[in-house]
Amino acid sequence: MAYALVALGFVLALNAAGAVNFAHGDHVVLGGAAAVVAGLWTGLPGLLLLPLVALVLAAVGILAARIAILPLATRPPEATFVATIALAAMIEQGLTVTMGSAPHTAPPLLGAGAFEIAGIALGRQPVAIVVVGTVLVGALWFLLERTQVGRRMRAVASDRHMARAVGIPVARYVVLSLALAGTLAGIAGLLLGHQFLVAPTQGAGHMLKAYIAVAIGGWGSVLGALLGALGIGFFETFVSATVGDAWASAALYVAVLAILILRPQGLFGEPAGRRA
Amino acid sequence: MTAAVLQLGEIVLAAGEIVALLGGNGAGKTTTFETILGFQDAGQPVLLFGQDVKNWTVERRVRAGIGYVPEGRRVFAGLTVRENLEAASSLARSARQRRLDEMFALFPQLGERPYARAWLLSGGQQQMLALARALMDRPRLLLLDEPTLGLAPLAVADLLGRLRPLAADGTAILVGEQRAGLVLDVAHRAVVLSRGRIVRSGTVAEVAADPALADLMAGG
Repeated sequence: MAYALVALGFVLALNAAGAVNFAHGDHVVLGGAAAVVAGLWTGLPGLLLLPLVALVLAAVGILAARIAILPLATRPPEATFVATIALAAMIEQGLTVTMGSAPHTAPPLLGAGAFEIAGIALGRQPVAIVVVGTVLVGALWFLLERTQVGRRMRAVASDRHMARAVGIPVARYVVLSLALAGTLAGIAGLLLGHQFLVAPTQGAGHMLKAYIAVAIGGWGSVLGALLGALGIGFFETFVSATVGDAWASAALYVAVLAILILRPQGLFGEPAGRRA
Repeated sequence: MTAAVLQLGEIVLAAGEIVALLGGNGAGKTTTFETILGFQDAGQPVLLFGQDVKNWTVERRVRAGIGYVPEGRRVFAGLTVRENLEAASSLARSARQRRLDEMFALFPQLGERPYARAWLLSGGQQQMLALARALMDRPRLLLLDEPTLGLAPLAVADLLGRLRPLAADGTAILVGEQRAGLVLDVAHRAVVLSRGRIVRSGTVAEVAADPALADLMAGG
């Protein structure tokens, strides 16, 4: 579920910017790092740190939009690629200098231990991740599908030039989308940072998973990103449990290649003829 | 005297007036529309509703009262019919809902399929959606760039038949066309462009009678 949040943030930024934000994976790491620091300072559990981490990473998203995306909006997408890669490098090096390269543990959401339901022990952390992730996915769906802000965000994603021509303040919606993407990345960083730790070099791995989720789900499709990420999680868990961890990544890439050969637009992507 | 709704060089529109902007491919029709909207630098004053809007953003010009139907329709493909109309409106929620009902009454073919994704509509329906989208916030100036392109004759007649009633309500309409014969029946005046310059302007009768424009007139 945490990977679903990473992929959803990735696709929100992609749709708003019209180009890949290569710093998105590092925003996830930054969220984990913010949780580590805030946890050390306050001693609070992760659940209470969530709003703070979300706010900090929303601000980082706004900063990314202001310095690496909006100023390059009229340039070819490659300019945004390079700018966001530079931003990713700055975040990674900044974290290495300030926190060191050794991994740190983010605080758990609800403390250690397990629930017991009908004789089955369920770890608090995995359950909390599923609950928080589900609530956030539901909130994002409501925003995009049931509010005027969401409709306009989708209109901007569909055709930025036309969105301006009907009076939508596109720059404001790009900033809002990047703030939301940062928020989701930050929360995902906090959720992942307890189980998988937080290290400055993890950004590329998060980025790759999100990229794969969006590619197999359908480039630009929010639903596709969600299902792609959940599919990756289930696939890796299944393969790990049946043939071992070592095969999980290799099998994932083979499956991704097979999907993209059979359906190049991804599972929920729009074929060219579908565009109005 | 009331101020012109639009003044861009020799292109002047008063409220309730329909002006045909004629010219072949590359004549400068789309550039003219994009200049009025603010996507391109005018290089000369653009007066909208009596004000010089040279330093206004595209969004500000549109909110001041421009509705735009671009060439190729460009509806928001993944959004439903209803969402296309709502997304383009800056009205408050209750006013927006009332306006939606008015649009669905004016365009029954859209009212029958409010939850259909825009990419599923026929070309004619998409053109109606693009027009309804432009009308959502009751624009004082309506810009239509080649609105008949790719439409069946019945859809063309339906579309053009809607312009006179809109103008009668006070909307100024600038309609770009290559096939002059299609729009001169509904226009009050015409401006002819060639290679980015105005080569002729006048009443419909004057322009239609110009022998130098016979090829343009034969279109449609």
